[in-house]
Formats: sequence, structure tokens, C-alpha cells
Amino acid sequence: MSELDKVRREMAAVLQQPGVRPDPSLRITRRTFVHKSCLVGAATVAETFAWWPLINTLDIAHAAEAPFKFAWISDTHLYPRSLNTRFVEKTMRAAKEVQAMSPPADFLIFGGDLAQLGKVEELELGVEILKEVNIRKVYIPGEHDWYLDMGKKWGELFGQPHWTFDHKGVRFVGLDTVSRGPDYWTAKKMSPEERMGHMATLDGTVAGPWAGVGRDQLDWLQKTLANWDRNRPVIIFSHNPLYEYYPPWNFWVRDWREVNEVLKPYTKVTNIHGHVHQVLYNEIGTMRSIGMLATSWPWPYAPEGVPKLTKPMIRVDPGDHFDGVGWEKIDVSAQDKVDVEYVMWRKQVLAQSPDDYAKSIPEVLRPRVADNMWPY
Amino acid sequence: MTVTCRFILFRVAPAAALAVLVGPAGAHKDPVTPQQLSTYQQVFMEQVRKGDLLFHGDAATEKEMAVVLSNTGMACAMCHPMTADTHPATFPKYQVQMAKFATLRDMINWCIEKPNQGEKIADDSEAMKALEAYIYWSQSGTVLNPGKF
Ligand SMILES: [Fe+2]
Ligand SMILES: [Fe+2]
Repeated sequence: MSELDKVRREMAAVLQQPGVRPDPSLRITRRTFVHKSCLVGAATVAETFAWWPLINTLDIAHAAEAPFKFAWISDTHLYPRSLNTRFVEKTMRAAKEVQAMSPPADFLIFGGDLAQLGKVEELELGVEILKEVNIRKVYIPGEHDWYLDMGKKWGELFGQPHWTFDHKGVRFVGLDTVSRGPDYWTAKKMSPEERMGHMATLDGTVAGPWAGVGRDQLDWLQKTLANWDRNRPVIIFSHNPLYEYYPPWNFWVRDWREVNEVLKPYTKVTNIHGHVHQVLYNEIGTMRSIGMLATSWPWPYAPEGVPKLTKPMIRVDPGDHFDGVGWEKIDVSAQDKVDVEYVMWRKQVLAQSPDDYAKSIPEVLRPRVADNMWPY
Repeated sequence: MTVTCRFILFRVAPAAALAVLVGPAGAHKDPVTPQQLSTYQQVFMEQVRKGDLLFHGDAATEKEMAVVLSNTGMACAMCHPMTADTHPATFPKYQVQMAKFATLRDMINWCIEKPNQGEKIADDSEAMKALEAYIYWSQSGTVLNPGKF
């Protein structure tokens, strides 16, 4: 058994015990893209790829005091305008569409990776494009925003990387899962650009397991939730998923055990995260987890660890740079439901048959070598 | 010559390595030696290393090999971390984007020209061979499935 398998089995043993699920009042409805048969046993191929609705509905008891919507955009990965206009176009399109929402969204959450290489010019370009959106905006950082100047410019523009607020009966929390990476640069005397370069390579082997919440922030989270009724809804935003999906690409936080310890008493936790650039759904203990699209480009599903509950997104056309990307509307309705709608700029978002799913052709992959060899 | 540089990287005495590579005439009739095996492997891994760097958008390697694989800031690995979803084992096949029967090399060039907006490379170029070496190495153990959509 590989190291990775051992860790994964441990997570399944710790967090996915039989019968442990989000509160039963978070009822699965026909509109939910979680496949019911996956919850009770193995789904057949036909079931997995059966017709699947675009909207994800979660029923949340005692949720909204009044109906409201909010929007999510993340992973714009902006380069300077002179180098790449495509990413700029797509960010502008998402911003325009969020602004055009009717009724309007109460707020926009930007889920990190605004910039590609953390440059002042890139972050400022992001701010300028998002000026199009005139509602309240809140931000959490991605690794691409951080590791050129260790969050200096990001902090100047957006303030604290973790925060909380209550909105119409829901407690919202923004977490910083990127800034506590292990120091891989000092001993190797890297320039800020080299440090950023390794961090910006998803399949790199140098930056290591950088995604984590950290003890200090976990203590803060615990304090933040202490006065919150355990049966009332909590929505947590993070750049990385709060469980273990695929560590080599930091599709996880390394301290998922501790995160789970803090969240365990709360029965209606929904985590919405970026970084994976793909449609993703999972239930970890009593928490639901939903992965968001990027506006820039889609990442492939990892070679292993794709949650069984995920209805995969469709294989994209690499010739169309508007394909496989987009943003999300989240609707908290008067009927106490939370709907997540993937706004992908194509008709079909989800795989309709095994041939639509890239992972139906098995690939055995190994990590790269060149970034760990001389002269790096 | 370039062969010499390669072996410096792998800390093998250049003269000895060269001797193994060239060998005496008719060497193929002799049983292979461990030294030869390791040299052949080193030659291969040097191509993998170069291909890895090209695949990850390393500017110095592109310059050294006189290729422009991208003009958008995008590198191959940005859509294909660890070469995921390149599906080298499915080639040759009918490739929808090109609307023709295509090889992996055709596909590499299509990605260079379309999403990356770079400059097409020759089919038998050093850069193409290095990219191919890296992609196949990265997917060692994947079952051949030629023709699969
Ligand atoms: Fe990202
Ligand atoms: Fe990220």
C-alpha cells in the first residue's frame, strides 16, 4: 500500500464512518447533484451517468431569515493584461454576469488565486476588473496571490485573510489555507520569483504540503463558532478543500483531522472551496463540501481520490478557452434551501456518459522529476 | 559535445560514459553490462528531464532548445499536471479537435499552436522527442488503449 493510500484509508476510517453524515434535515432532493445511490451503496455505471440536474439543492433547517443569494468567483489567475487577454476576458465576463444577477446577490465571495504570479500588477488588475461588481465583496487568498511577497500586497488590498460575519441567520467564515506553508525557500536561497514559481506549479515537488489551516487559526475558528447554535447553518469558505482528496496537488489541508475536531459538534456545515478548478462534491463527517470552477482553466480530476459522491464534470474542449470554466450562484431560499448553481459557459456541465468523463480512461501517473534535480 | 554535458549532470565520468555509448564495433552481440544499462537509462532520463522542463514552461530550456511553446503564459502542465488527461496511450486515434487521424506528436503541436498560441515544432525535433519522452515516462504503467476517444 502506498503512503497516500494509507493516509486516505485513515481519513475514511476517521471521518467517513457508517451512518455519519450531515444532519438528516439536510435532505437530498431530486435537484441535488449528489447521487442518492452513492450514499447507500455502489452506484452502477448507468446510475452514475444518468441525467443529472444543474442545480445543487441542500435543504437547511432554520436557515435563512429571509431569502438571499450570493455569488462565488475564484481562480482567475490573472497575468498582466499584455501577456494574456483570455484570462482577463473571462474574469470580466464573470464579473458582468454577477453584477447582472436579478435579484442581485447580497455579496460576492472571491475564493483566491486572483493573480497568477502574485505580482502587484496582477492583483491590481483583479481589483480593477472586480470594480464592475457593485455589491459587498469579501476575499480569501490563494497560493498564487501570496508567495511572491508573502501576502504583503494582498493584505494591503483586502485586509485580514480570515474573517467571519453573520448574514440572515447563517454564520459565514472565511479561512486562509495558504499562508502557512513550510519554508522551502530559505535553505535553497530562492529569490521571491523562484519561491513563487515553485508554488505556482500544481504538480511541483518542492513547495510540499503547503495547504493547512494552522493551530492559531483553528483556535480562532473554535472561538468564532463557540457562541453559535450547533444546529444552525455555518458556511465556511476556503481556498483548499478541508479534507484529503489528493495531497500531491494540495487538494486538501494537511490538518484535516484538527479541522474536523473543531467542526464536529456543528451539524449543518457547508464548505465551499476553490483551488481544484472542477466540479466536486463530498461529505466528510457532518460537513458537506462543494468544489468550485475557475474562470481561468479547468484542472483534470486527480488520478485517485475523486470522491465517490462527485458527479464529474464533462470533458472540456481544449480548443475553446471559455469551456470548462465559470462561476457560481448560491441561493439561500425562503424554504431554507441552499442551491449551488455552476454557471459554466456551455450547455452541459456534467458528464452524460462514461465517454464524457476523462477518468474513464485509466492513467497511471508519476510525479515530475526536473524540479528536484540540479540546478534547482 | 552535448553527450558530455549530459553526463556531468548525472555525475558520471564523461569519458567512461562516452566509451560505453559508442562501444566497440559489434557490441550488440555481447551480453549487456550493468554499466551499459545504466548509461542507456541515463540517456533516456536526460530526455525526460528536458521534456519535464519544457512541459512546465521552463524559459531557459525553451531558449536553449530554440523553441517557443507558448505565448500566453500557459504551459502544458497547467492543464495537465503530472501529464494527467494527455492520454498518450490512446494515440494514434481520430482526434476531434483536428478532425483527423492523429498521433501524439500531432496533438502536442495542436496544443502548442491553439491553447498556448506558440510556435509549432518539427515532428523529429529534439524538443518533440523530449516532450514525448517525458509524457510516456510520466505515464509508465498505463495500459495501451489506441484509438480510444
Ligand atoms: Fe487556482
Ligand atoms: Fe490555488
